[in-house]
Amino acid sequence: MSIPESHLAQEAIAALVDGELSGGAANRAARHLTGCTQCRLAVQAQREAKAALQRDADVAVPGALLSRLNAIPFTADVSGGGLGGLSAAAGGLTAGSWAIPLAPPEPPARPGHARWLRRGMTGALAGLGLGVAVLAVGLPAAERTKDVPPPGSVAGAVRETLPTERTDVVPPVVRTINAVTALPPGGPN
Amino acid sequence: MPEAAPVLPADAADGWVAPTWDQVVREHSARVYRLAYRLSGNQQDAEDLTQETFVRVFRSLADFSPGTFEGWLHRITTNLFLDMVRRRQRIRFDALPEDTERLPGSAPSPEQVYADTHLDPQVQAALDALSPEFRVAVVLCDIEGLTYEEIAATLGIKLGTVRSRIHRGRVQLREALAHLAPRRPAAAEEVIR
Repeated sequence: MSIPESHLAQEAIAALVDGELSGGAANRAARHLTGCTQCRLAVQAQREAKAALQRDADVAVPGALLSRLNAIPFTADVSGGGLGGLSAAAGGLTAGSWAIPLAPPEPPARPGHARWLRRGMTGALAGLGLGVAVLAVGLPAAERTKDVPPPGSVAGAVRETLPTERTDVVPPVVRTINAVTALPPGGPN
Repeated sequence: MPEAAPVLPADAADGWVAPTWDQVVREHSARVYRLAYRLSGNQQDAEDLTQETFVRVFRSLADFSPGTFEGWLHRITTNLFLDMVRRRQRIRFDALPEDTERLPGSAPSPEQVYADTHLDPQVQAALDALSPEFRVAVVLCDIEGLTYEEIAATLGIKLGTVRSRIHRGRVQLREALAHLAPRRPAAAEEVIR
């Protein structure tokens, strides 16, 4: 039999190039290829496409991205995630058999900043609570229902907030603190 | 940066030591970022995909068992990529006028692409031109070196679908790159069809 009755299936051509054909099928394909220019060219085209991709070299991860990845244990919103097995130990968090050291990835540029921010958050929450109370008393009922969503939707929104979106929350908080504590001019800011 | 030592001792059963988060990032970020870059074709999306992949990894560490880490990362990254593509297709369909912001022109120069990725810009462009489903299959096979079976498991598709997507993806890739191989006679393209 000199003329092949049927060509290789396209799937077989890809599989042949990737060494994914079983022994028998690979032998049959090789026999067919010796007598079929068309299939040989198809195999060649597959090889060339594969080779073009394999000239790929390693990619350098941008430094800023690497810093963000290292900081995920400190920035990721885990409250909505599936970290059911997370527990805090003296030196770090353990999740299952995993250990996450709590040492910050880089020494913070402003040591007092985090504590200041934390205290600020507490104050801001108190301030927000006060603000809501004032709103509740001062506004007519119609506007209140429009501006203040039901508690359930607030909780849902908070849980869905991504870490990157939190920055949107910070500015009003900071403003509230400035107003409440009345920082002297020329202060930390 | 101080070296973060593993907090837990070696696992008594199999000697496996739980890596620290630092180690996870150090060992896997380059691979995830490269995959994300090859799939998305640009640095911004690659960074977003990589970040989101590691956030998912961090959230699910408790459920993870050693031995499947690479497969796990491939699955998360490719699924996030396909989600991103589908979301954008929906947005594009819903709001065509915004498409004008996505026209080429603000795209990085070929030199910039190569400096960022070390992949021939024409090869990356040919990859970008593939449909996302073909692109994922080809990238997992030829760049990540996965077997067909691993690709089928990663994407949740049948083995025959993997074969067909890889074949058709490579045919399109080869056609897009035809001008890069001047030695080949133009007639060869006709014969293949």
